[in-house]
Amino acid sequence: MHNRKWSVVFLLVFCVLCWGFNKNKSIEYSEETAISVILHELGEPLPKHARPDADEATIKRGFELVHEGRTTGPNGKKSKYISKYFNCTSCHNQVQEDPILNTLNPESRLEYAIEKELKFLPASTFYGIANRESWYNDDYYKKYGELVKPANNSLAEATQLCAKVCSSGRYLEEWELEAILAYYWSIQVRVKDLDLNESEKAQFKNPTNKEESISMLKRKYALKSPATFGEHPSNFRVGYSNLEGNSERGKQLYKLSCMACHQAGGVSDITFDYSPLTFQKFLRQIDKSGNYNLYDIIRHGTYADKGKPRYMPLYPKERLSDQQVEDLRAYMKSAS
Amino acid sequence: MKFFSGFLLFILSLSLISQEDWAGPAFRDTRIVNGHSVETNQKGQLKFIISHRFGSINGGLEEFYGLDQSNVRLGLDYGIIDRLTVGVGRSSDQKTVDGFIKWKLLEQNTDNTMPINLSLFSSAAIRTLNIDVAQREYPFSSKLFYTYQVLIARKFSDRLSIQLMPTLVHRNFVQTTSVNNDVFAIGGASRFQLTKTISWQVEYYYTLPDQLADIYNNALSMGFDIETKSHVFQLHVSNSQGMIEKFFIGETRGSWDDLNIFFGFNISRDFQLGGRKYK
Repeated sequence: MHNRKWSVVFLLVFCVLCWGFNKNKSIEYSEETAISVILHELGEPLPKHARPDADEATIKRGFELVHEGRTTGPNGKKSKYISKYFNCTSCHNQVQEDPILNTLNPESRLEYAIEKELKFLPASTFYGIANRESWYNDDYYKKYGELVKPANNSLAEATQLCAKVCSSGRYLEEWELEAILAYYWSIQVRVKDLDLNESEKAQFKNPTNKEESISMLKRKYALKSPATFGEHPSNFRVGYSNLEGNSERGKQLYKLSCMACHQAGGVSDITFDYSPLTFQKFLRQIDKSGNYNLYDIIRHGTYADKGKPRYMPLYPKERLSDQQVEDLRAYMKSAS
Repeated sequence: MKFFSGFLLFILSLSLISQEDWAGPAFRDTRIVNGHSVETNQKGQLKFIISHRFGSINGGLEEFYGLDQSNVRLGLDYGIIDRLTVGVGRSSDQKTVDGFIKWKLLEQNTDNTMPINLSLFSSAAIRTLNIDVAQREYPFSSKLFYTYQVLIARKFSDRLSIQLMPTLVHRNFVQTTSVNNDVFAIGGASRFQLTKTISWQVEYYYTLPDQLADIYNNALSMGFDIETKSHVFQLHVSNSQGMIEKFFIGETRGSWDDLNIFFGFNISRDFQLGGRKYK
């Protein structure tokens, strides 16, 4: 009886101590700490595409596959190109491209791109893509149909869809996919990228409510890249009503967006330059169907087809706004 | 030889400073009219070229202004790397098979630290038709022809490019001792861009005096390039019916004076066989 009493007391003291230790345990981090590390410390399970234990060689292979389309495989041989027509970097930046990570706004993204000398591309950056929770969102269903369903919830499936269909290439071998996932995991959003004040930092450093801390952190960056497909204006000659183009911004867009692919030696075999001839061609075609109709080519892109595997991806409205299309048109008019 | 080695080393050293900010292609295709431009295929790009030269325009209506006859060359050019292209072709004229290699050593920069494009070109051609002279048998070597060119081009503006082509054509066999085996020529060509997709080309090869029999003329050709996605259509007239160097330098019989000139076209279609790193 005496022993039982002491056992109960010991257990109570043990539980109180454990609770106390647990309550006071703080999360160690630096500005360079990947956001997934903190989320995991707060109790969030790692996603399926997490590759926290990937070695440097694997990450390097992933980097090369993304930047150059091929790498040296584990067998020591050069791999085949994923696509003969595109690299991942043709459509995706590899660094932060929005000044505030939870505000995906094409206007502020352009300002940021000008400041950082980044390309202004149709698809979202790979930086932090491993921190997102869905891919090929919203209107991409209109373009790729059922193919996007497995890709919506799986970064691995999204990558395979991109490799095979979007880049007119081939499915990745398992080691290639592993390497790319490892690379994605190495370029996650970090604490320094989030707009956190001291109180918010304290909220996850010494969390009182872990779920609330997780929610707070996830509100600080985009969990998905929304995609709304636009339409051409009802009157091509007038353009998007009530919007007046700014030729200076249009000039920057032309440089960072159009010329990113259409420069000589670029990914497109239709080359542009800064010659008035090029802009005159665009303006002549403004109300005609074809690849030089500014509105249709931006909003609809073109489709890969047999014999024509190289195509132009469309820009969703979240990646290039109607205002920015008018800015481009204004620049072309001023430079023609 | 020492001079040539020194020249090559000089060019190679220049190529080291011409890697960035390419001014863009001086010519829209790898051919101007008959001859090569400084441009090379991109890595992994296969270009299939169908070239036609019809009969003489002065044949009149009876010959349908030359359209009743034709000379054809079918060619395949492939970019091994961005600046190195090899190609083969077969012309119906003398049933000639040819092969070439073209290496772009220098590319013009936007900031003019490298003001020119420079390519080295070399080709060999084999006449497979028997030589019918003096009813003799001729060895295989008699049917070989070689061409060496330095192609130097400058893109002066988005509209205007000019190219110079110092050329040596070597014929292993010539029919009389009064003509040389080696023919030195200098070519000049220009492109003037009329619209985004249409340009006007002129090409002239001047053969240095006292090298050829009097029946041969210098080749003057001109025409339009029409560029579409993956295709370039070239429509032109020339006083040469041949489409490789050994024909249009040294064997041009046509003359602009009496409209003994030939309408022709080149159609090229690009195929991407291999991947590459894109800008």
